[in-house]
Amino acid sequence: MDIDPTKILVRYNVQKEKAQSPEQMATEMFPKTEPARSVAKAIFEGEEDDVIEALEKAIEKGASPIALIDDVLMPGMKIVTDLYDQGVIFLPNVMMAADAMLEGIEYCKETAGSSPKPKGTVVCHVAEGDVHDIGKTIVAALLRAAGFAVVDLGRDVPVDEVIAAVKKESPMMLTGTALMTTTMYAFKEINDRLLEAGIKIPFQCGGGAVNQDFVASYQLGIYGEEAADAPKMANAILAGKGLAQLKDQFHKH
Amino acid sequence: MVKRYTSMAYKNADDMIFGTAVHPVKAELGLEVGAGYVTAEVNYAPRPEAGVSKEKLVSEYRKLTTDILARAVQIGFPAVSLETEHVEQMTNNPTWGGEIAHVQKTILEEYHEEYGIKCGLRHTPGDIREDRDLLALIGGKYDKLMESFEAVADGGADFLSIETMGGKEILDYSILRNDVPGMIYAIGCLGGIDMGMIWTDIKKIADKKGRIAAGDTDCAQANTAMFIAGGLLDKNLAHTLAILARVLAGSRTLVGYEAGAQGPGKDCGYENTIIKSITGCPIAQEGKSATCAHADVMGNLTMQVCDLWSNESVEYHGEFGGTSVQCWSQTLNMDAALMNTAIQTGNAKVLRDMMCLSDKYRDPQGYVLAYDNAFKVGQAIVKDGNDLYLRSKNAVVEAIKILEASKKEGKLVMSRFEQNALADAKASVEALTNESDSFMSDSLAKYKAEEPRFRPEANYKF
Repeated sequence: MDIDPTKILVRYNVQKEKAQSPEQMATEMFPKTEPARSVAKAIFEGEEDDVIEALEKAIEKGASPIALIDDVLMPGMKIVTDLYDQGVIFLPNVMMAADAMLEGIEYCKETAGSSPKPKGTVVCHVAEGDVHDIGKTIVAALLRAAGFAVVDLGRDVPVDEVIAAVKKESPMMLTGTALMTTTMYAFKEINDRLLEAGIKIPFQCGGGAVNQDFVASYQLGIYGEEAADAPKMANAILAGKGLAQLKDQFHKH
Repeated sequence: MVKRYTSMAYKNADDMIFGTAVHPVKAELGLEVGAGYVTAEVNYAPRPEAGVSKEKLVSEYRKLTTDILARAVQIGFPAVSLETEHVEQMTNNPTWGGEIAHVQKTILEEYHEEYGIKCGLRHTPGDIREDRDLLALIGGKYDKLMESFEAVADGGADFLSIETMGGKEILDYSILRNDVPGMIYAIGCLGGIDMGMIWTDIKKIADKKGRIAAGDTDCAQANTAMFIAGGLLDKNLAHTLAILARVLAGSRTLVGYEAGAQGPGKDCGYENTIIKSITGCPIAQEGKSATCAHADVMGNLTMQVCDLWSNESVEYHGEFGGTSVQCWSQTLNMDAALMNTAIQTGNAKVLRDMMCLSDKYRDPQGYVLAYDNAFKVGQAIVKDGNDLYLRSKNAVVEAIKILEASKKEGKLVMSRFEQNALADAKASVEALTNESDSFMSDSLAKYKAEEPRFRPEANYKF
């Protein structure tokens, strides 16, 4: 038995593929001047050593390490995340680029002996009883790559600990991921405890069994269908969007 | 002591068929798996609020079990199997899981006695072997997990399963960095080492309690890769890498059978066609009737050689057609009826090939898991069956070979991204040693330096 598969499926990904390769598109987006160009290229390629080398050269020539973070490293990373958002490159490329950029930021901070002001702080956690944290790891990496400070509480985090961290860090947003239906019930408890304490920050929830209906059932919950929604949501908060507007934008169903 | 597979249970791929396995297994209440017919295996999850107490959970499982059996009798299905995948509360409190198994088995017994319906019950304790920040595969949590197996076996579970997490600390790191040697180390080597330990003990419990050590699945790793890979337009992971994780899962899941598991293999083990080709043991599979749980690119193909046909998991709640478990059990049973009709009318191979071909060219994952190609992966694994590293590497090499050969056939169309990822994977595998000892020691040094959560001595007895 044999078939002609073209009548029963369409490979939309092949059809939609851009004429240019990711490398060609990235090259067109790299800054024209140094050291920004070398740093952006090294970030795109996920080459940590090359990032540091380019930064060293720039600092030797008198560049301010902290200024390099905002003027060179972050714009370099933005090329990568923009290409990811456009569907041109894959998540592992973003993760490796983020590794390289974060290495660069650490180098600049150590060299300067100070830290730049982040765009905002986000607390991330995996629900109590749940140890599946790859989703949270991706969320944290994408948030850091977008310039936010992340307080990563890890996995299997008790409700009390989440509440304490929110009180201590005063984040602009809290994220929670869960794989199982019963563990995600903790999100509702966190919501209620935050409201009791008078804290009304957006609480982005997502992961395996988590669905929009459940998240929409508590006041602070905003459903994040994709990990890549996290930095978009954080940026929307910075742009002044409130809970209702966030639900309107991110609740897709 | 595990006994490695170095030969295939089937001589030819074409000999494999749904509903029939070389070594069928028999549950207590008349159900035989792999004995010439396919049975629905219904899988479910409690509502979020049911986890707050033992009483609520037990009540939830009592209701949903009764619902499933009532619907099966109403529509006239001859057999049904249930799978209870534990929520964490049930495994961390072994008496909870044990009581739920007992309540469920009692309901199955009542229906079996009154209507003669053949029933099976699988319990799948959760792999709770972890501390807050680290896998803790050996120690107190391991002991508690074994207590859970004892309790559900006492409660009446026919089939004992688990989705083990050995190697996941390295997989999570390597899969997000296109690191194929890391995937081989995580899934094939570390996962295989952990499975050898845990399945030897599960088999002992099964034998002691008169239950069946059913099987494992690489859900924590290969399904993570498949889930991240997503659909055709998703850009989270190349599907050509996801299938490499899957064939590695073939080498890893096999270890459970080498330690004494007999099947039916777990539904979400998409590697199970490879496993059946090697072991001849019956398998559960999920696909088009598991859309309640997830999307994937091979919903029909996975039926090709299944013995139990599952919906993966559905939250218990109301639908227009009844409760969710009733709706999905009806769908599964109708699928099973079609396959059993094909068997009875002598058309099983025709239906198998139609199911396979409807998805075979949809994606690199389905292409490699088509039963003819899966059989070739099985052969590659048993070629060096005694060596966890070499057989895992062989599986990857064979999958790459299969995908490259597809270009001549011209029916599987891969995107440039997928082809580039495949070429990169090929280059990194070709650079690997054939010496197991040096691969293991090099990987140990590399990941100890790169992944702080990796605890080789405590978890793998290095």
